[in-house]
Amino acid sequence: MSEPDPTQPSEIEITGLSKTFGQGASAFTALADIDLSIRTGEFFTLLGPSGCGKTTLLRVIAGFEQPTTGSLKINGKEVAGQGPNARPVNTVFQSYALFPHMSVAQNIGFGLKMLGRPAAEVKETTAQMLKLVQMEAMADRKPSEISGGQQQRVALARALAPQPRVLLLDEPLSALDLKLRKEMQSELKRLQTETGITFVFVTHDQEEALTMSDRIAVMSGGRILQLGAPNDIYNSPAERFVADFIGDTNFLTVKVVEATDTIAQVRLPGGMLQSARLPEGMHPAAGDDVTVVIRPEQANLTEGGASPLSATVTHSVFFGTDTLVHVTLVDGTPFTLRRQNAGNPTPPAPGTQVGLTFAHGALQVIRE
Amino acid sequence: MARQFSITRLPGFGAIALLTFVLLYLPIIILVVFSFNANQSQSIWGGFSLRWYEAAFQNQQVRDVSIRSLWLALVASGCATVLATLAALGTTRVSRFKGQTIIYALINQPLMVPEVVTGIALLIVVAFLKVQTGYTGMGYLVLAHTAFCIPFAYLPIRARLETMDRTLEQAASDLYASHFQAFRYITLPLLVPGILAGFMLGFVVSLDTVVITEFVKSAGQDTLPTYMLGQLRRAVTPEMNAIATLFLALSLCVVTLFFIVTSKRG
Repeated sequence: MSEPDPTQPSEIEITGLSKTFGQGASAFTALADIDLSIRTGEFFTLLGPSGCGKTTLLRVIAGFEQPTTGSLKINGKEVAGQGPNARPVNTVFQSYALFPHMSVAQNIGFGLKMLGRPAAEVKETTAQMLKLVQMEAMADRKPSEISGGQQQRVALARALAPQPRVLLLDEPLSALDLKLRKEMQSELKRLQTETGITFVFVTHDQEEALTMSDRIAVMSGGRILQLGAPNDIYNSPAERFVADFIGDTNFLTVKVVEATDTIAQVRLPGGMLQSARLPEGMHPAAGDDVTVVIRPEQANLTEGGASPLSATVTHSVFFGTDTLVHVTLVDGTPFTLRRQNAGNPTPPAPGTQVGLTFAHGALQVIRE
Repeated sequence: MARQFSITRLPGFGAIALLTFVLLYLPIIILVVFSFNANQSQSIWGGFSLRWYEAAFQNQQVRDVSIRSLWLALVASGCATVLATLAALGTTRVSRFKGQTIIYALINQPLMVPEVVTGIALLIVVAFLKVQTGYTGMGYLVLAHTAFCIPFAYLPIRARLETMDRTLEQAASDLYASHFQAFRYITLPLLVPGILAGFMLGFVVSLDTVVITEFVKSAGQDTLPTYMLGQLRRAVTPEMNAIATLFLALSLCVVTLFFIVTSKRG
């Protein structure tokens, strides 16, 4: 997965965009003041729980909803106010929305036909698309005569056939079972690389987002809380919501001893001093209480001997490749760490006194 | 464990059900049976014969009114279906507007107003128009039947539109279809069963209505039902039974077709 070049042009440029449903007292703000730039050719994911506005944002980009305020540019052209048929974007719907009265081939050729392309070209592109999604044998079937996974492929082929600048995907994998889901994840990634089309992908599944995306925008309450590459989002969450929503994490309340622009020295429960990374624009003063997050795999456990941060094991959960060890710190704060099982054959027994150490850069201060 | 309530276990259920079926179908069965009677009686069986069917087919008047009835039903339910389709689109494919419920009630008005009231109202208007324009043709009946059939055609079409997946139309417009193209290639083909059902329901209603026709028709514009009513006032002959049986058969065919069309999943 390569980081797209930031100097590349923006495919989608959203500025000051908001969307309100209803009026007066019953008005509901689905999107609040969104600024977002999606680069050409990247796999971009909108991630968040249901009701966070990610689908609304996708529908605004598609043209099914019009923004209440703000600007939306696709390939440099303002499209706010235009209908979906005037935009060079195609959508893969959560329900697939295949036309039930048309064959697989007719479904795939529909967009080109509407664009007024000659019949020969429609036929040729349809054949290419059928091949791309490995559905040649099903060309004459009706959507009701193929499986869910196959419908998914047809929906993808139909949206890719008109060669849009941007492909919008609205939780397209949510109806598939786990095995098929994994298959389709790599299939999607392959299609995106092969076609070079910008993908905007909506999901509530953080693992899906982390494995597939070039960049992720984490959304909540109609706002984008954090935007970045999967490893940035995972390792340097800026807010509690982001840290909590993505991966497992430990939250500790600590006291700032001293702080620079990017690093703070903090005192952990039990007195140990550690340096913690600060999110951009946060300048705590010495003596402030702040929250740090530590991922379970960033903490190590030492048995026997004195340790600057001691803890008591409460229980362990075996996971095959690793074990989750639950401990309580001296002040009673619960803490979870993940230990590789290779070289650690037996998990520590409950009640064992252990020491904790952290990997370099493991502590990240978050905004509350 | 208490047994689930079941109406079939109530005392007298069987008897009431039987009585209902007898009341519903016995008169029809008698009518059909006596249409094949060899003599002229409605109560004494004189052997099997097709003479009354023969007589009906040879009766020029019967042929005239039958053709008029069919023609009227086709034209009126055809017009009603077109209007009902537009009305159904106008009440389901737009964002909610003020007075939507009133529009809905207005479209369905003929279902709620007693038929005789509609008949009298039409009589007054038609009489006025006849005096003003001097035109006394079939146009009045076509108009009256069309208006009367609209709600019957509207209901199945609207039901079909409401259950249709709206994302299909969105997908069409996402794939560069204009509003008209989305309608032409997606909505309309999927709506066909509803439209056919509406048309057939309208057809049966128009074929059947006596009251509206009686009030609106001019001299010499009898339809089959009003003709039969007129004949029965004078004499009850098995010829009427024969005509009624044929009429019943036609209605049954249309209704059966209606069920086949509406139950087919598309």
